[in-house]
Amino acid sequence: MQLVLNSPGAYLRIRDGCFHITVEDESKLVSPKKVESMLISSAVKLSSAALQLAVENNIDVVFLDKFGAPFGRLWHAKLGSTTRIRRGQLVASTSSEGLGYAMRWVQQKLDNQIDFLTTLANKRPAKQEQLGVYISQIQVIRDKLKIVDIKNESTPTQADSANTSNLPLAPCPLPLAADSLRGLEGTAGRIYFEALSFVQPEQFPFHGRSRQPAKDEFNCILNYCYGVLYGLVERGCMLAGLEPYLGFFHADNYNKKSLVFDLIEPYRIWAEETTVYLFSQRQVKKEMFDKIQNGMTLNKEGKQVVIAAFNERLDAALRHQGRNISRRNIIQFDCQAFAQELLKIDLEREPETE
Amino acid sequence: MLTWVIYDIVKDKPRTQVAKTCQRAGIMRVQYSVFLGDLNANEIDELGLKIKSLIDEETDRVYIFPMCKEDFSKVRLLGEAFDKKLVTNEIRELFL
Repeated sequence: MQLVLNSPGAYLRIRDGCFHITVEDESKLVSPKKVESMLISSAVKLSSAALQLAVENNIDVVFLDKFGAPFGRLWHAKLGSTTRIRRGQLVASTSSEGLGYAMRWVQQKLDNQIDFLTTLANKRPAKQEQLGVYISQIQVIRDKLKIVDIKNESTPTQADSANTSNLPLAPCPLPLAADSLRGLEGTAGRIYFEALSFVQPEQFPFHGRSRQPAKDEFNCILNYCYGVLYGLVERGCMLAGLEPYLGFFHADNYNKKSLVFDLIEPYRIWAEETTVYLFSQRQVKKEMFDKIQNGMTLNKEGKQVVIAAFNERLDAALRHQGRNISRRNIIQFDCQAFAQELLKIDLEREPETE
Repeated sequence: MLTWVIYDIVKDKPRTQVAKTCQRAGIMRVQYSVFLGDLNANEIDELGLKIKSLIDEETDRVYIFPMCKEDFSKVRLLGEAFDKKLVTNEIRELFL
């Protein structure tokens, strides 16, 4: 289970090999075997022994600020896997292969968006027509992705010929392909969120994405779910031995976990489904939010409702590659499979582009 | 699998150790000498071996027995009883 410490003044220490949590006069013993992750979102006293117990049991300890954004996480001081995977990842990032992976994830994301909007349209006869328009717009972009892919496949041959003829290298076409991929993904995202805004109940309007701070209730919940998902994907990367800072598609930047941003794309849909259903099932109340400067934020009660709903979705099993796996484990499973693919990359081969 | 661990242990020290071992294994104390929780087959074996090394097999009695979900749903609790959901791992998040 997920241990959420959000009472100020709670004290986490160990007793008899278990976590011992004291909140005011009450105390609770929790076995480390039952805890998957720990979210610490208020001023809590911690003993180093408790943190050690968490690390030894592969429990992800995440510290959240008052907006629910993680500002720190505790992880063991080992790689936990082979650096061969990271070398493969580096080679893939300098060739068309990396972009190929990114393409696959974006395609999956757009497919998910189309499927979800179709489900929504089927249940809302009054809005079906307009949603159909949005769906076909995303489908057009989905088809354009294939064209980018073709360009991309021709990239290695261009680069090869440039290498062999000893001519000055042709400008690398890869960034262009990455740019157009980014552009298409962005456009699809805008259409998609416009569609979600269209099905949003009247008392909770939503006009486009906003972050830090969220401007409306929809964004509050969505940002919170994305935050949880983001932590899960990062954990998946770490356990699989992937380098979270080396992505293929999202731009490199200081402290930017590009690979996590790349990998999260196919899973974002779970956060979006959770958010939309929370609203459509009337589980969202105005009391769940606090006003802050320039926006709003989820308060303690709100977070409880959202975490419970999102965890329930993450623990529900899906058919994935011939097996029933919970959504939470699908992320781990995919990260491991991806690391295996990277292991197959030939490290000795000539680079395709400079 | 839902597993009950029930014991009668004569000496104080091994009794305390068995109780702590059960707690560490992630099952819940539902009565002074009764623990209950969800464990998989490996965890049940592990717990069994640990307890065996702690007790005196001449004088002590420990029963570890699994129970299926269907039977557990028929369990009736009277008086100040334990939280059924907490025992069966149905609680996915614990807010403290």
